[in-house]
Amino acid sequence: MLREPPTRLPDNLRAAEPPEMRGERRDHVRLMVLDRQRRTISHTRFDRIGQHLQLGDRLVVNSSRTLPAALPAMRTDGSLVQLRLCVRRPGEWDVLAVDPYPPFANVSLQTAETLQIAPGLAARVLGRRPDIPLLWRLQVSHDGLGEVLQVGEPIRYSYVPKPVPLDYYQNVYAGRAGSAEMPSAGRPFSRELLTRLRGEGIGTTAILLHTGLSSFQDDVFDAEHHLFEEWFEIESEAADAVNSARRVVAVGTTVVRALESAVGAEGAVQPGHDWTRLRVAADTPIQAVGALITGLHEPAASHLDLLRAFVDEAMLMRAYDEAIERGYLWHEFGDSMLIT
Amino acid sequence: MKRLGKLTGKVALITGSSRGLGRAMSLAFAREGADLVLCARGETELKRVADEARELGANVITVVADIGVTRDVERLVVLALERFERVDVLVNNASELGPTPLPYLIDYPPHLFSDVVKVNLMGPFRLIWSLLGSMLQRGSGVIINVSSDVAVNGYPGWGAYSVSKAALDGLTRTWAAELEETGVKIFAIDPGDMNTAMHRAALPDDDPAQLGAPAEVAEVFVELAAGSIDPGAGRLEAPELLKQLRLPLHA
Repeated sequence: MLREPPTRLPDNLRAAEPPEMRGERRDHVRLMVLDRQRRTISHTRFDRIGQHLQLGDRLVVNSSRTLPAALPAMRTDGSLVQLRLCVRRPGEWDVLAVDPYPPFANVSLQTAETLQIAPGLAARVLGRRPDIPLLWRLQVSHDGLGEVLQVGEPIRYSYVPKPVPLDYYQNVYAGRAGSAEMPSAGRPFSRELLTRLRGEGIGTTAILLHTGLSSFQDDVFDAEHHLFEEWFEIESEAADAVNSARRVVAVGTTVVRALESAVGAEGAVQPGHDWTRLRVAADTPIQAVGALITGLHEPAASHLDLLRAFVDEAMLMRAYDEAIERGYLWHEFGDSMLIT
Repeated sequence: MKRLGKLTGKVALITGSSRGLGRAMSLAFAREGADLVLCARGETELKRVADEARELGANVITVVADIGVTRDVERLVVLALERFERVDVLVNNASELGPTPLPYLIDYPPHLFSDVVKVNLMGPFRLIWSLLGSMLQRGSGVIINVSSDVAVNGYPGWGAYSVSKAALDGLTRTWAAELEETGVKIFAIDPGDMNTAMHRAALPDDDPAQLGAPAEVAEVFVELAAGSIDPGAGRLEAPELLKQLRLPLHA
């Protein structure tokens, strides 16, 4: 059994707002660099990341745009509930149902009840999802994307006390929408920085993975690391770029999940689109990805499990201890980490 | 149905596409093979234009949206990308004239002034802001902002419209400089005086016979969108470009 980091995360290290609202540029957040070969940890600013990358490295980003995936809905009894989109399929959504106000505690729905989400969009509760009972299966009349954009708000956790506009939950390269939560590892990239890196021989390739929820708003349940499927797409040009890269730098764990899901028999990334249920953990052989850029997330999160596929326990614990000592900010609006 | 035209295979998003220049452009783009994302505030007229474009063979989606409203702009972008996966050409055509008859600035209700700026300046900024990332990722795209003669000249009564269009020209200038060598092009173009509902509202006494026809001016937009003319960055004037386009015919 692997140990969890010994230190509890102090509340003031959870980034409460985007750096731009703190008067900082998005690419000026802090960057911790873990060099696995030399076993060193160094500290710099995100916009200097080029000094730690090499000519021929390829940044692979997740271009999925963040949806305002927290939807207010009216229950049959007239009360309000917040639905958090987790998995969207044609005609069927798997959602978390929570109170519409902090701390967003889970709410029990009634099977067969009707939820009114927007004028012209209602959902019928089919029941709990058997494998993940905190998720409710809803039958929706149509894909509802327009309505989601009309009434939804970005999913927000208690450490972000004030609502933040959806714009701040988008990466500069965001394309098609479908993520319940921001694929936030790429958030510190400004377009200016990406352009500069390209000039230095470090290009960017986009793939897509629509993210689900990172928390079920239940500590005990979250600690059980329930796994759900996520939709990903890799175009053939992207697969070619990945396969011919000197080294693939995955921008975010969602990119790791997508690329490693697409590795074929010969060890090359295959183009295509599918649902993935891949769990990346300490014993997962990493075949497509050579380096990783990631944010810092809750010590108990399954995020750490994934990092163990890249970094051994001693170095990971050292990194998280240093991050806490130096006051690194956590979560989607926080600081960053590069593992080379 | 496979249509061969100057814009075959391209996806164009045109705001304010239910009337005047926007409508003419939508039909011209459809005729040249483009697929279309059409948007306007009023649904009935928008649907009518969409049907006309479909008859010309275009795949079309319509989004009822107010470009001055942030949520509407994001919804427009999301629905466009969901349907067509990309937008090759963005035309910021939707414009708000403001109150008519055109009041002097001293008589201008301040909240209406800011409404005009929201639609004519903030709307295009937000729409470009939301779409440019995916254009840059592909390394191609054309953005056309519809400007006006009043962007450079001061005429009594044109206050908010004039200021917003001047600012849109400025936005285009800066963005053009930032987009050099990215494969994405951005233009501001003055379509000239045209016989449209907006023009009639602003200057009801003008003689329609003296005004440009939107369908002719739309040809210039087709050429710009297709990349078949590259007049360089900066402010363009449609009547001038139209004359150049027509030159071979008169030669």
